[in-house]
Amino acid sequence: MNSDMDNFIGLSAVLTGFNESVIAPDLDPVDIKSVYLPLFTQKIAQESGNPSLTSQIFQKFESLQASKLTPQQIGQAMLDSTNGEAFVLACRKLIFMWYAGAWPTVIPATATTQASTVSDIISEDAYTSSLVWQVMQSHPMGDSNYRYGYWAKDPVPLSDYTGNPGGQS
Amino acid sequence: MTTQIYDIVIVGSGISGSIVAYELGRQGKKVLILEAGQEVPVDRSGYMSTFFKANAKTPESPYPPTTQDPKQSTPENPLGLPNPSLENVPRYTVLQIGAWRKPDQCYFTYPPQAPNLKTDSPEAVFAFGSSYERIGGGTTWHWLGTSLRLFPSDFELKTRYGHGVDWPGGKTFYQGLVPYYEKATNEIGVAGDKVALDKIYQQFGVEPSGTYGPNYNYPMPPIVESLVDTAFGELQNVTVDGINLFTTPTPQGRNSLPGDRRQCAGNTNCIPICPIQAKYDATVTLANALQTGNVEIRYRTVASNIRVDDKSGKVIGIDYITYDDHLGDKTGTGTAVGTTYLLAAHAIETPRLLLMSNKNKNFPNGVANSSDQVGRNLMDHVMYLAWALAKDPIYAYRGPLSTSGFESLRDGTFRSNRSAYRIEIGNEGWQWASNDPYTTLADFVFGQNNTQLNGDSKNQQGKPLRFDPSLPANSTLFGAQLTQTLNAIYIRQIRLGYLIEQLPDPDNRVQLSATAKDHLGLPRPYVTYRIRSNYERDAFVSAKAVSTQIFNAMGATEYTMKPPSPVLYGTPDQVTATNFDYKGDTFTFYGAGHIVGTYRMGDKKETSVLNSRQQSWDHSNLYMVGSGVFPTVATGNPTLTIAALAFQAADNILKDLNAPKTNTGAEQTAVDAS
Repeated sequence: MNSDMDNFIGLSAVLTGFNESVIAPDLDPVDIKSVYLPLFTQKIAQESGNPSLTSQIFQKFESLQASKLTPQQIGQAMLDSTNGEAFVLACRKLIFMWYAGAWPTVIPATATTQASTVSDIISEDAYTSSLVWQVMQSHPMGDSNYRYGYWAKDPVPLSDYTGNPGGQS
Repeated sequence: MTTQIYDIVIVGSGISGSIVAYELGRQGKKVLILEAGQEVPVDRSGYMSTFFKANAKTPESPYPPTTQDPKQSTPENPLGLPNPSLENVPRYTVLQIGAWRKPDQCYFTYPPQAPNLKTDSPEAVFAFGSSYERIGGGTTWHWLGTSLRLFPSDFELKTRYGHGVDWPGGKTFYQGLVPYYEKATNEIGVAGDKVALDKIYQQFGVEPSGTYGPNYNYPMPPIVESLVDTAFGELQNVTVDGINLFTTPTPQGRNSLPGDRRQCAGNTNCIPICPIQAKYDATVTLANALQTGNVEIRYRTVASNIRVDDKSGKVIGIDYITYDDHLGDKTGTGTAVGTTYLLAAHAIETPRLLLMSNKNKNFPNGVANSSDQVGRNLMDHVMYLAWALAKDPIYAYRGPLSTSGFESLRDGTFRSNRSAYRIEIGNEGWQWASNDPYTTLADFVFGQNNTQLNGDSKNQQGKPLRFDPSLPANSTLFGAQLTQTLNAIYIRQIRLGYLIEQLPDPDNRVQLSATAKDHLGLPRPYVTYRIRSNYERDAFVSAKAVSTQIFNAMGATEYTMKPPSPVLYGTPDQVTATNFDYKGDTFTFYGAGHIVGTYRMGDKKETSVLNSRQQSWDHSNLYMVGSGVFPTVATGNPTLTIAALAFQAADNILKDLNAPKTNTGAEQTAVDAS
């Protein structure tokens, strides 16, 4: 049986499109996953009113993974509406958390406004680790490891950022 | 009373105050700086930490006091904005714009709308668009770094085009400023491309001989242009009002080579904060000033009143209040005494201090205010933003925030009819325009359409905007499809910003609130702000049309959104802050951070606060510096001119201080003004 962390990382990789080696590298001094897992568990329990929802999500993922499906098939099955609204929303919030380093609140549409999203930054490390900067082949604003003049040249391919081949650059 | 008498007492430690302090300190003059805000930190890691954790990464977000506290969020105050009446040194922040009708969340207070105005009425008042800092080093902590000169035509808008006012002496003011522009360029350490800039200066007939100063060059080679710039650089045969459009690399106050400061590493974060100080800020000059051994600075020391001698009319002291904790009680009071005085507290706090100083017998309307001009003619570059997706990847979100612009539209005969503008090219994608990357992210994670990329939206020219027509509206993506879609969008995002020249309007002004105070008991600013003339509003019409022209010429798809219709009346949550209707269209304006004009220079005592020496007409030993001295906002970002004028003021003050004792300040003025 997988640990919660194994399932959390496996599911996160499937949903975000980033390789496990990127979001949870072997050498991981920042270790943002150890911040995200308890936060995710606590927020989802609190927002859904269902303290076992995270466990259900992980169990479903583990069984899908055991059945040798492709990441695309696993992702589709996890986000299928038959899982229930709270289940799917939790999975979507997981994606947002990894990309933004922030916990989202979805504001429903009203008669005069569209649905929108606000979010709270989780921590300094969450901001600088967030994947949205990687998916644009750049760096977190304010935290560049590049050198002078890099902006005049094309970046390395997207697959170098996601760790997954097949991504466009 | 302090026991020591200084040669000069300076209020404010930003770029102007620091330059004057350094120039005088190195000449052996004894200088005292009163700084209302907190100390320059030992390093910037604390500011970086605050910035990383900030939900809204606004220009002020890294700096104390905190701009928002999500834990204080309530339905009436969703952002958790601090109450300015509880703060010792509050300042206006861009988050307060949306709360401009809530005095317990917004430092500025505003007049009510006049009754029964239409949404296109020139009499509608707005929230002011720009902010500043009250900390050691001042607002250059969050400046962009753009270091453009103004042109001779900028100094004679009235003579040449019949609008606004001239600067004292008109275009001769420019010639007097040239040596100081050179000093400012060196102090800031500007990286610039002389050949490219010469082309622009020649186009605008800058004298003498088509150049702009003898043996002039930039201390640093130009910052390399971004791939975004390159995409705009390929534009051909686009003209506006008969003027050819072409990009010019922007002269910038950031290191293109390692030197005393680090080489720019392209953190794409010049505003709010450069993490490695590759960008110049005034703490550089302030440190140099302090190292002369003749400059003393007192932090958390808020100037609250200027004392004037009834007989001589000279300033004899500046009262101040001290505090330790930003929310705590005051810890003391005192009076700083000098031979001369310099106000360098930027264009909101300087007039506020002058107006608060209303207890002097002969100046009941405030110090230096016999003309009633103090606080008037508040200006900004009102900005129009336009954004689009480029046809091919241009890799946004990389490099300094802006590395090029369209400068060729800053002057021309059209200036008789509408405001001029320069167009800044953004390297930060849709961050400013649309709060990206987060809005696009949320759209494709949660199936929303706030960017117009993921629905049935059409742009203002009728073109469908769904990014991937093979996907349904309100798609929710994951995995490889999410990475590929987000990537394809972000790396194509482009943004243009038009810095529209706002005219001086005496009714756009800073006054004192009759009711709202800060925690020290000092009255808060009461700000009246309109965009009243068709001259300015027609520039918005032009900017909108030109954007579409540029985007079409480069094969880009425009996503600029039509803003919501103005709401002038209603609850604080219902009213809009910066939207106006004009000629059947709706616009919103953004602030450029260029707060200008509230203690202007002029040729006449009756219509200006300062003479061309930046010396008060009313008090011969009182000088003022900063963009508040500008008679017009002109067509370039103001900081280089602010710095040049500070060097010029320092020379004028040194002349006064070194004059024989029998020579009064008034006599000195007559000599120099001739």
